Amino acid sequence: MVVESFPNFVEWINSAILLFLGIGVAATVLGIFFGYVVASFRHGAFEAFYIVAQVISQAIPDLLGTAPRRVWAIARLAIKEAMRRRVILVTFGIFALALLFGGWFMNAGSDHPDRIYVNFVLWGTQLLVLLMGLLLSAFSLPEDIKNKTIYTVVTKPVRSTEIVLGRILGFGLLGTALLALMGLISFMFVWRGLSHEHQVVGDTQTVASLYEIDPDTMLDQYGKRVSPGCIMAGETSFDSGHRHRIEVIKDIRDENSKQPQDPRNILKTTKRSDGKIVYERVVVVPYGGHSHPVTVNGEGNDATLTIGPAGGYFRARVPVYSDFLQFHDRQGRESSGIDVGREWRYRSYVDGGNRLTQNSLSRAMFDFEDFNVSRFGDRDTLPLEMTLSVFRTYKGDIEKRVIGSLQFESLVDDDSVEDRFIAEPIVFETDEYNLQVLPIPRIQSGRKVSPDGTVLEEGKFDLFKDFAANGKIRLILRCEDFNQYIGVARADLYFRATDDLFWWNFVKGYVGIWCMMIIIIAMGVALSTFLSSPVVMLSTLVIIVVGFFTTEIRKLARDLFAGEESGGGPIESLFRILTQKNMEVHLETGVGTTLMEQIDKGLVFMLEKLTYLAPDFGKLNFSDFLTYGYSVDQNRMFVALAITFGFCLGLSILGYFCLKTREIAK
Amino acid sequence: MSTETKSNTNKPSRLEQSNPDYDPNIVIETQNLTKVYRDFWGRQKVRALKALDLEIRKGEIFGLLGPNGSGKSTTIKLLLGLLFPTSGRALVFGKEASDVTKNEQIGYLPEESYLYKYLNAEETLDFYGRLFNMPAKVRKERIGQLIEQVGLTKAKHRQLREYSKGMTRRIGLAQALINDPDLILLDEPTSGLDPIGTREMKDMIIQLRSQGKTVVICSHLLADVQDVCDRIAILYQGELKEVGRVDALLEVGEETEIRAKNLPESAQEEIRQVIAKHGGDLVSVDNPRTSLEELFLNIVRESEQRPGHRSSSAQKESSKE
Repeated sequence: MVVESFPNFVEWINSAILLFLGIGVAATVLGIFFGYVVASFRHGAFEAFYIVAQVISQAIPDLLGTAPRRVWAIARLAIKEAMRRRVILVTFGIFALALLFGGWFMNAGSDHPDRIYVNFVLWGTQLLVLLMGLLLSAFSLPEDIKNKTIYTVVTKPVRSTEIVLGRILGFGLLGTALLALMGLISFMFVWRGLSHEHQVVGDTQTVASLYEIDPDTMLDQYGKRVSPGCIMAGETSFDSGHRHRIEVIKDIRDENSKQPQDPRNILKTTKRSDGKIVYERVVVVPYGGHSHPVTVNGEGNDATLTIGPAGGYFRARVPVYSDFLQFHDRQGRESSGIDVGREWRYRSYVDGGNRLTQNSLSRAMFDFEDFNVSRFGDRDTLPLEMTLSVFRTYKGDIEKRVIGSLQFESLVDDDSVEDRFIAEPIVFETDEYNLQVLPIPRIQSGRKVSPDGTVLEEGKFDLFKDFAANGKIRLILRCEDFNQYIGVARADLYFRATDDLFWWNFVKGYVGIWCMMIIIIAMGVALSTFLSSPVVMLSTLVIIVVGFFTTEIRKLARDLFAGEESGGGPIESLFRILTQKNMEVHLETGVGTTLMEQIDKGLVFMLEKLTYLAPDFGKLNFSDFLTYGYSVDQNRMFVALAITFGFCLGLSILGYFCLKTREIAK
Repeated sequence: MSTETKSNTNKPSRLEQSNPDYDPNIVIETQNLTKVYRDFWGRQKVRALKALDLEIRKGEIFGLLGPNGSGKSTTIKLLLGLLFPTSGRALVFGKEASDVTKNEQIGYLPEESYLYKYLNAEETLDFYGRLFNMPAKVRKERIGQLIEQVGLTKAKHRQLREYSKGMTRRIGLAQALINDPDLILLDEPTSGLDPIGTREMKDMIIQLRSQGKTVVICSHLLADVQDVCDRIAILYQGELKEVGRVDALLEVGEETEIRAKNLPESAQEEIRQVIAKHGGDLVSVDNPRTSLEELFLNIVRESEQRPGHRSSSAQKESSKE
């Protein structure tokens, strides 16, 4: 999963408040200016000054006079109106239909059926709820003005703030209720859609249905490699589009070490002469992100095997990302990683050196600044998860995987006085672009070195107690194959802490959708104070699109100003389309081209500034986290809620002034 | 309820205190009030109201008369802040029309009762009561009282969409009175009402005056206005043509009315001398009164011939006072 920002709420909020205030000041100045221009056009320059002053001076008492009872009255009315217009009912109807028949199109046998299911419900809910919010909010106030029912409202001591806030509150509450209902149903849908059971294939549901594995080849009946230690194999029935392999695995343990976690799947326990205990365990090999527990009843070949319900789909992994990622180039200098050409810039690369220089000093250093045992639980191994990309400069044996290594190092506060621990490198095979899990032993062999580099002690050291005694640790990733490169981004490598509760993570995902819905409702209501319904719909849709593509627009602006964007901005692109010149063709230098480029820069500059007015939906959209089974961390939640609050506040103020200065009866 | 509103009325607002010109006896004051409707490009479309100067005093029933498009509704909307004046000022209780706090003391019945059709009578009044920030208990009491007053007790649980025109007018009036206002603006209050309904509406208006409230009626139904109004203003094409007391305006000074009994038909000419000569009984000698309809049509006719403010009216007004 691509994660490009790692927000820290406390750091973020400071800059966000500054931005908010900046926009507030700019909007105030612009508002006063435009208000004055319009008023002076209608009433003359002197009178206009008086009118603007009057509007501003009435704003504070109006705001202070805002009464919760009136806001609630308008909110109740908005709810009743929405119920009457049946938008909610239709939305829910479409949702129910989608779920009823959606199951037909889900491929439960795919690699990750959980992703398909979760993605489907999240995007479906998001689309429907946002559309509903837009429809409710865009039509309410214009309809009221058109029907003139607003006359009887604004002639009461109702402040414009109350009309705007009441609507946002009413529609927001209704949307929240609907979203909660949809969330609950979605959860059941995903849960039920994925739950399934298998039988053991064979005449009996016993061990007799399994066949023995040749220890020399370690291949099953289809010629696939079985797990290490496998002595027998079989298969489950084909259900929900897939089947699993059943394996009997020999698990040899010391007498004093822990028993296997699940005692129900032990077929046989024998004690060897050397004192070790051999457990023969029956397991179902995971498929598509899930597995099934096996319960063994009886002994020997007559032992019956019962395969339990699917488990492992619903995860909310809590990744512990590094706080800082730093690259060194071949010469060991700090760099932003090696550029392997026109590749996706998300990852940076480390190279494995070449035959001439032998080893390269190129490496990626992940610094963890809060590496405490409390985050991982007291375990012997820490799960390290990686999704690495590989850039090959030669194919060689394409089946052979590129080798990388990982090495732990203490990250001391002052390396001129403190001793450091350095571990032996852990060599691994990269599984390109796939998520690979490396269990990292907590006890690492390595050495303790003094600041001047002398080795003080060699032996085994604890990652938490020795390496990260100050809570900080550095993990170094290197590429160990000549002329090959390993690409990595900050989010690609993390330790997995104790999982979050899945249902709670699901709720957090819906909080993201809720935030988007509230912003759209607020926007619809605020814009409908001065625009007609179709225009509100259209402009809100435009803002939604800008909101979803904020990152892309900003990137376009950045690239265009850096001269890196091929094809140019909007005008140049249009010119290229009309004259059938492709993106790479250089345009003739001249006044025309320069003019075009300058206009483009101006346009993109404005567009980029506009993105700060549109909500960055990327920050509110947690779908990917849920789809890929990652926990949404608190910082993201707080950022999303703060963004929502900021937009509601700004839009309510906008709505107030627009409604206040509007001639309702015109 | 009206503890809240009443106290507001008694206590002069800050604006009133700071405004030395504010006379508590003048509820509505317009100064040179002008409204020009413009199109999108700012070009003048209609001059709906031309420099209206008007004063409406506390406790009177004031009628705004005029044919369709004469600027009556525009005046009301300007007073309520539904429209903004192009120039001039509109003051209600000494406050600018754009100040929402003035609405605490105002009740407004629009031309057609623009109410939420999916609410029933009780819900409607409850909603408007909440808009006045009335506590639940006061609201409940007041709603019961008003529903009974306008005679909708039987229909109070029906949605407004099922209401007849007359019933809609009644619930409209009830919502205008929910806050026990001091100033009531009624736009065409009797339109759509049957004769009995009209009578009841007029009685209610007169009753409101007896409670010391100021009522402004905007209508083209002359008979209604004639029955209840203390003073009227006649607008035509956005201009104020006449303003004054109804009885003064309807008096025809240069003519004499003779009411006679048992008078033969042949003796209509030279009637004054002939009454005595023929031995008839003279009942009364008085100035005759024209009907308001007559006056109204005269003004319209005259205005069409000679645009501008009628000179006679101003003289009459001043001589009367």
